[in-house]
Amino acid sequence: MNNARHLSLALGAVAAVLIAAACHDAASPQGTITAGILPGHDKGGGPCSDFRLTGGGRVDKPEPETGKSPPSSHDFATFGFQARPDAACPFNMAGSGNIEWNEHLETQYGGGFAFHGQVTLFSTPNDGSETDPQCGRFGGFGRLNPHNGATEEDVSFEVFHACDVDEPGVGKDHIYMRIGPLADGSIYFRHSLLSGGNIQWHRLTGNN
Amino acid sequence: MTTKILLALTLLAGAVQAQTVTGKAFGTYVNAAGVTSQSPVATLPSSGGMATGQADAFGVAGAVDASWLNAVTTGAVDNKKSGAQSTSELEQVSAAGGAITADVVTAVATAYFGQFTGGSDGEGSGFTNLVVNGEAITTEVAPNTRVGLPGVGYAILNEQLQTGNGVTSYGITVNMIHVVLQNVLGLRTGEIIIGSASSSVAR
Repeated sequence: MNNARHLSLALGAVAAVLIAAACHDAASPQGTITAGILPGHDKGGGPCSDFRLTGGGRVDKPEPETGKSPPSSHDFATFGFQARPDAACPFNMAGSGNIEWNEHLETQYGGGFAFHGQVTLFSTPNDGSETDPQCGRFGGFGRLNPHNGATEEDVSFEVFHACDVDEPGVGKDHIYMRIGPLADGSIYFRHSLLSGGNIQWHRLTGNN
Repeated sequence: MTTKILLALTLLAGAVQAQTVTGKAFGTYVNAAGVTSQSPVATLPSSGGMATGQADAFGVAGAVDASWLNAVTTGAVDNKKSGAQSTSELEQVSAAGGAITADVVTAVATAYFGQFTGGSDGEGSGFTNLVVNGEAITTEVAPNTRVGLPGVGYAILNEQLQTGNGVTSYGITVNMIHVVLQNVLGLRTGEIIIGSASSSVAR
C-alpha cells in the first residue's frame, strides 16, 4: 500500500510541476495541488473552468441500472457536494469545495464508511462524458471514517464525472466516485444514476 | 427611446429576479418529558452552498438510539435554475423503546427550478430492514404511513410534507420516523423525529 501511495504522490508531484509550468500565475501552486490526480486537458478558454456544480442525494445500482436497492439491502450510498474552480485560480484546474460520501454496504471497505473530502482540483471530465455539456470533474483529499476501523487521513478521491442531465435528476443525473488507494491498497468505486436527489450545473457569473 | 429603455429594464429585472433556496437536515429530535434534545443540524445558507451536521452516535434514554448520523444539505442559485437537496441518514436505529428499529434510515428531500419547470420530491428516501412492533417490513413504506405504537402513541413513517405554492415556490420536508407520544388519555405529550430532510426553492 505504501509503495502505491508513494507512487501516487510521486505522480502528483510530477503533475504539480507540469501544471505550475503551464500557469499564468504560479506564485503558490504547490500548496493546493493534489497528488494522485493526473492533469486534464487545457480548456483553451482560460486557466480555470467557468462553471460550478452542486448536488446531493442517493445512488444504488451501477449505471445503467436505475432505481433503489430492495429494502433488505445495504447496497447504496448517499452524498452531497459543492465544487467549483478556485476563485483566485492560482493554477489551471485549481478547485475548491467539499464532498460528503457515505457508503452503507457492509462488504465494502471498512464495513461501510463516511468520507469527508475537500476539493482542490476542478475541470471538465476527460473520461468520455465531456461530450455532455453539463458535466464536471473534481478531486482532492479527505478523511475516511470506516465503520470498523481507524480513521484514515489524507485519502485521495476523484469524481470522474458528475453530470446534470435534466431536472429533476433521478434516473438521469449521474456520478462516478473513486476513493483511494485505501489503507489496504484497495480502491473504492461507485458509478450510478441517481436514485434520489439532484445534481445542478451552473455557469459562473461574476462572483456567483 | 423611452420605450426601449423601459423594455431593457424589464428584461433586466427578470434576469436578476431574486431566487432563494433553503435546506435543512438532522438525524434526531426529541421532545419528551419537558426535555428537548437534537443531534447536529445542517442548515443551508439562503444563497446556497453546503452545510453538514454529524455525530458518531446519539441517544436519549427510552426515546432513540442511533449511530453514524450524517446530515448534508447543498444548493445553488442562479437566474436560470436553482436547487436544494438535503439528506439525513442514520444507522442502527432504535426508537420509542425499541418499538421501531431499522438498520439504516435515509431521508432525501429535493427541490428545484429548471428554466421552464420546478418541483420537489422525496425520491431516494427509505428504510433498510425496518421492524415495527416486532414485525419486519419488507416492502417500501408509502409516504405518510401511520402505525399505532401501543403504550406510546403512534408514528407516521416516511412523512412527506409539501410546501410552497407550486408556481413560484416548491418545497418538501421528509421525516422518516415521526413518533407522536401520547398519554393514557390520548393527549399529545411529546414527539420524536428521526431522519429529517427539508429543501425548498423560491423566486
